[in-house]
Amino acid sequence: MNWNLNTEHYYVRFAHEEDIPNIYALLGSNEVVKNHPKNPMVVEAQAMDEARRMVMQFEAKEAAFWLVEEKSTGKVVARLSLQKFNWVSASAQFRVDVFSDYKTQSVLSELIYAVATLAYEDLSLHRIEWFLLESDHCLVDLAKAFGFNHDGQLMNFLEFEGSWIDYQVFSLLKTDDVWQQAVINQGLPES
Amino acid sequence: MKFVANVDFNGGQLRPLDQTDVDTIVKIYQKQTLAGQSTTASTEHAERMITLSVQMAATQRGLMWAMEVDGQMLGMLSLYDWQPTSLKTLMRLDVLPEITQVHQVEALRAGIDYLVKKYHLRNFSFHCLPMGDEAMISIVEQVGFIQQARLRDYRRISQTEFSDILVFNKIIESVSETGHKGESE
Repeated sequence: MNWNLNTEHYYVRFAHEEDIPNIYALLGSNEVVKNHPKNPMVVEAQAMDEARRMVMQFEAKEAAFWLVEEKSTGKVVARLSLQKFNWVSASAQFRVDVFSDYKTQSVLSELIYAVATLAYEDLSLHRIEWFLLESDHCLVDLAKAFGFNHDGQLMNFLEFEGSWIDYQVFSLLKTDDVWQQAVINQGLPES
Repeated sequence: MKFVANVDFNGGQLRPLDQTDVDTIVKIYQKQTLAGQSTTASTEHAERMITLSVQMAATQRGLMWAMEVDGQMLGMLSLYDWQPTSLKTLMRLDVLPEITQVHQVEALRAGIDYLVKKYHLRNFSFHCLPMGDEAMISIVEQVGFIQQARLRDYRRISQTEFSDILVFNKIIESVSETGHKGESE
């Protein structure tokens, strides 16, 4: 099975040793991590640790992480992941860390379609979840535009800087009409 | 060392599981409620569950109480996915038909009061099936749980079928919200 994906404009690939500065640039950016919520990285050693954790979680079959490299510039513009694989219920949680310039429907439709295709076709998953903050209006709107269903909210899911965080839960099922249509159209809605 | 406390409620008590509960546990788990669970629980499963109930409480990963009314075990109140850092847990109620709804409500209230006081837990949740769990939904709503989500096809119920799950939450904003009955060690 090939975990490295190739879309029209991006290489969606696993990280390698030379990617530490790319991971640091991405996760050291407050605009990228503020909606997780998380504090940005402040030293490159954190990126090395993160890279190790990505490998360990993949080897334990708990998660898979991809860096998104723009073909035209060679720049790493995002990290995608499927986390908390549940092989009994055939589900996983999708997550995206992306520079704001690339946080657009056209970019994410291309990337999410690639990862969801792998999830449903190669990994035989049934449900992809996406946990979002209500305040992350951009991704909430995009999730709806792609046909993710708003399942509700998970209250006080975690504590961050003294506040309890609620997550809005969105889901996309393999059997959803919107996904079946995406398969026929070879892509999610781009606009 | 005792990891599971006795907690009194109006009409009964929550207590640790012990080896005399094997037959009752087998009776409680005669219906399939979890993916991968065989339709009938066995004595071996029940004995394993009792051992596990001690291990999970010792490591603060979960907890299992027997619900006793008039000296007879009529159900179980359990905690799974106990996350001490996030002060939250997923609860589960499994009962025999003989127990009244009033006793279940009292037991659940007492259990939550104890967990708030003893472990400072503040976020309790239940997962219920949309069909077949109406009695349990009524009980958790009486205790103050509110439905917050309907997770589509969240639980696998056969090789090819999935069921939605209703997520109920109860958030304790302050300890004064509880009416702790006290524990008896």
